Amino acid sequence: MSLASSSRPKSREGGLLLPAARLTLWRELSQVLHRESVLGYLLVLPAVLLLVGLVAYPFIIALWLSLTDALVGRGGSFVGFGNYLTLFMEDDIFRQTLRNSIVFTTSAVAIKTVLGLSLALLLAQDLRLKRLIRGAVLLPWVIPTALSTLGWLWMFDSLYSVINWTLLRLGLIEKGLQWLGTPHLAMIAVITVNVWRGLPFYAITLLAGLMSINPELYEAAETDGAGAWARFRHITLPLLRPVLAVVILFSTILTFADFNIVYVLTRGGPVNSTHLFATFAYQVGLQAGKIGEGSAIALFMFPVLAVIVYMQLHYARREI
Amino acid sequence: MNRVTRRQFIGRATVGLAGILAYRAPPAFAQKREVTMLGWSHFVPESDAKLKQLLEKFSREANVGARSDHVPNVQLASKQATEVQTNAGHDLMMFYNEQTWRYRDHLVDLDDVVGELNKKYGTDIYPFCKDAFLINGHWKALESIWPAVPGNYLQSKFRQVGEGPPDTWADLLRAGKKLKKIGHPVGIQISHCLDANTTFWSMAWCFGAKVTEADGKTIAINSPKMAEVVEFYKELYADAMEPEVLSWDDAGNNRCLNAGKCAWIHNPVSPYAAAKDKKLPVADDINHHSTPAGPAGRFFAPPARGYGIWKFSKNIEPAKDLLRFLFREDNLNEWIQAGAGFNHPMWRYWEKHPVWNTDPKLRLLPAEGVFGRMRGWPAQPSDVFGVIDDLYILPDMVAKAIGGMSTKDAMAWATDQVKRILATTR
Repeated sequence: MSLASSSRPKSREGGLLLPAARLTLWRELSQVLHRESVLGYLLVLPAVLLLVGLVAYPFIIALWLSLTDALVGRGGSFVGFGNYLTLFMEDDIFRQTLRNSIVFTTSAVAIKTVLGLSLALLLAQDLRLKRLIRGAVLLPWVIPTALSTLGWLWMFDSLYSVINWTLLRLGLIEKGLQWLGTPHLAMIAVITVNVWRGLPFYAITLLAGLMSINPELYEAAETDGAGAWARFRHITLPLLRPVLAVVILFSTILTFADFNIVYVLTRGGPVNSTHLFATFAYQVGLQAGKIGEGSAIALFMFPVLAVIVYMQLHYARREI
Repeated sequence: MNRVTRRQFIGRATVGLAGILAYRAPPAFAQKREVTMLGWSHFVPESDAKLKQLLEKFSREANVGARSDHVPNVQLASKQATEVQTNAGHDLMMFYNEQTWRYRDHLVDLDDVVGELNKKYGTDIYPFCKDAFLINGHWKALESIWPAVPGNYLQSKFRQVGEGPPDTWADLLRAGKKLKKIGHPVGIQISHCLDANTTFWSMAWCFGAKVTEADGKTIAINSPKMAEVVEFYKELYADAMEPEVLSWDDAGNNRCLNAGKCAWIHNPVSPYAAAKDKKLPVADDINHHSTPAGPAGRFFAPPARGYGIWKFSKNIEPAKDLLRFLFREDNLNEWIQAGAGFNHPMWRYWEKHPVWNTDPKLRLLPAEGVFGRMRGWPAQPSDVFGVIDDLYILPDMVAKAIGGMSTKDAMAWATDQVKRILATTR
């Protein structure tokens, strides 16, 4: 039954007769809404409004700010690409942040890919308590990052580190390591926490990919005498590649943009050796009030990430 | 009884909601005036608890709601930035050090409130408090806390190595070398935290070093005096401290002292207050001495804090009334007591408060005020020094030198950084 016809017997509501004009308008509106071309756009509209309000608008404002010398609460004037050029050419903390971000992201993504794939293969086995284990694996992903990182902060603490305690008891070290006070160890610490946090995303997504591979392919390969490595190399990996590409894409973006882990553990120290774009942008833009420069730091990697996204999506589409 | 139909209900609710949205205010019957303030999470939690009690008392007396929110100190700067960018948020905001200078154009003048309080407490105000909050002849924030930053030390450990409380930085180095050998090092942050900045400024002035000349524009880092400071830090780090100081936050040195590991830290008296509150045995062992002196004198950089009222506030007068109430003698008396020696107002009138006289370990604190200087001294405070602190340029200069960079190169690096800040900060 159409909306127009259903509204006819209900013309008396609340004891009042609907005026004829209103009834006509309602009918016309119903007819318009029945057109898929109109209804489709209407249904998409809330999502578009959200994207415009929460993503596009802040992005454009940030882009504009990055082209000005604005200070918090004081506005600024247009400086073109001055902030970007000054940061890259003159600011060695920024250049260090760039190096840190590349080391942090490539290391963390590489480790997560290897461990995530291994974990997914393990979880795909017919284990006892399979569901419980799969649920437990998700825990690091479910716990709020700031909260779980506080736990890691205590594990890396200079006085009360349980990691140092264990290493000392095992006789592997003679005195406690300064996890967050030594540049290289601090980088290892933040990468470790990022891997711990991001591993479930890899494992569960790749597991879903593994589950979608037709078991008959494995059976056929086994019949032809293919071993475990050959089955992995010639069946699992090629069929998993599109999922893997998307997972690595998301992970690269999220890892590049990481903030909580570094902010809670080191605040970018020691001597800026763990600053990432997000933490350095926060420090410059919000703490020091140089919001124009802070925006430029935050957006510096946008073109690079955009190219990575394009290439990976292009690759994934071709594979599919 | 008249029945409201569904259609009538929806119609009236829509009209009401549209009205609220149009006027951006709830209807009168739903309004309850409330003054809100945002401050840090005090290192002495009893101080915040007392503030809450005082706000409840204010609500009862003035028939105006009052609420105080608290965030960790490191988050205050970003909260201020967010509120000023959006012109929305709390009525009163806590500022420390040069932050009041940064937001001076967005803050209501408090000359009337300070004028009234001066009638009661006098005009003998610590000069560094005026430097921080009296901007271009107008009070932009009302100082609520300046903590003295004395030497906090474990008496037993100093006795063990045959040393008394160090009067100078050189005394500290001598004692520190012995203390480290018995496993109880000195603990001074060289990291991204407020304390690291505070101690650096304090020590630099004692050695006669400065970041800029008095004009605030001529960079003075590259000097023999500053080289002495950096070299002193290097020696202190190598012979009297542990590498953990490179990773500490503001609470790192407090924890180290209260764990009985560190024998000396440069900090307000919060570790002692916390040890007493938690009944830690170390409380008996902790004592304080005046902030160390150097060849150029005795100075320290008090992290002075105060509350200002945003111009965008819709409750400016009630917010001023709240300040008047909090700084009324009976209330301020309680607030200072709850701070256990941490909260010192800007008037010297309050040096006679019993909190500093009943406990002999706190007796020295009020007199420390004469050594206080605002960051940037001998230059006038300005946004520039706030940014230098916010970017941790000075502790990073020391950390670079400790990490192997030559003192000369570390100073050149810091000079470049300050040059950039001077060029981009108005």
